[in-house]
Amino acid sequence: MEAVTGWWDDYFWGSMIVVQVFFFSLILMVLFGLIGAAMKLSNSKIAQKIAGGYTVVFRGTPEILVILLLYFGSAITLTAIAQIFNPEIKFLDVPPIWAGTIAIALIVGAYATETFRGAFQGVKPGSIEAARALGMSNLQTFIYIRIPEMWRLALPPFGNHMLSLIKDTALISIIGLNETLFVASQAISTTGKPFTMYLVVGAIYLGFSTIITLSVMGAEKFGERTTVGAR
Amino acid sequence: MNFDLTLIWDSVPRMLAGIGITFQLMALSAFLGMILAVILLLMRLSGKWYWSWPAQVFIYVFRGTPILVQIFIIYYGLPQLDFVRESILWPILREPFGCAIVALSLNTGAYVSEILRGGVLGVDRGFLEAASALGLKAHQKFIYITTPIAARLALPAYSNDFISLMKATSLASTITLMDMTGWRRLLRPTRYLFH
Repeated sequence: MEAVTGWWDDYFWGSMIVVQVFFFSLILMVLFGLIGAAMKLSNSKIAQKIAGGYTVVFRGTPEILVILLLYFGSAITLTAIAQIFNPEIKFLDVPPIWAGTIAIALIVGAYATETFRGAFQGVKPGSIEAARALGMSNLQTFIYIRIPEMWRLALPPFGNHMLSLIKDTALISIIGLNETLFVASQAISTTGKPFTMYLVVGAIYLGFSTIITLSVMGAEKFGERTTVGAR
Repeated sequence: MNFDLTLIWDSVPRMLAGIGITFQLMALSAFLGMILAVILLLMRLSGKWYWSWPAQVFIYVFRGTPILVQIFIIYYGLPQLDFVRESILWPILREPFGCAIVALSLNTGAYVSEILRGGVLGVDRGFLEAASALGLKAHQKFIYITTPIAARLALPAYSNDFISLMKATSLASTITLMDMTGWRRLLRPTRYLFH
């Protein structure tokens, strides 16, 4: 283990990049999921078709393919556009961190779409009828009845989506993001100890997964404790 | 920008050859993973802590880390250890294909074991009580009552995991492809440090 000594700070900064990617992709993932669910539940046939296509494509293709396609696809397109204005430019890309963040958010967002749709449909009709009987408007019903009931239903699968997100961040190293796997490969090229270095990466990810699992368990406890009335 | 359709058409035969490898990876690791999953399941259901703890730790570790890291530890990491290079498994672990099979099997085994456990726990207690009343022994109950019902309960979740496995086979390309393209890119920054 003494080979790792000089690399702790690099691993720390690599982990910070993992955290950064995780949080931004989490926000985008929730956004994509909610938009997708809203489209699937809307009355518009076109919106339903678009959202259906989105979930089929992103749930059916390998994560690494989406990341590579998004990064190199956008780079080729950007380069082509830039060359119209300035033929000197050889290569122009979206920074790997953003291409990767958007790619994994799109992938897990497709799963989240299905989760949110199911959770919104799982809201009991009785609750909504009760809200109507109390004279609540549509907006009030949405905020006070649908959302609180829906997030409790969506939480367990949502925890799994967060685990997928944190594990998918490892794939972004393939397009050259300097996160923990990248740090490990640098460390290996000087120390020649691949087993030790990759084991550290595994331990870091295990730590992140544990934190997420424990937070979701805490949130579920909170959800159960604050559920008012009969179930 | 040159978006060349003929290029796509020309590379179809090579991609078809790749599909063959994908199917081999998928079938072999699904089979080995299922055997591992059943072993892990029996370890967890045994009720003995010295059987169930190792299984739980295995599942926790393999579900909590990215499969890419697992593939890298097995392919790039294990040769660091002398006893691995001298063991009889070395001919398998030397090849990217063998490493991919090992990594995917271990990974899918951990996931499928949890799915099967969900199925077993979902079996109605009434069936087991009825079986006991008919005088079936513990292993008979497991084979004739629990297994068929649990298999049906676990099937939808298993199909999802099978799709995940299929998608994960694409990661096998990283341990061969990385040698050619990505690896150079990863190593370049460190080269500058020493020049």
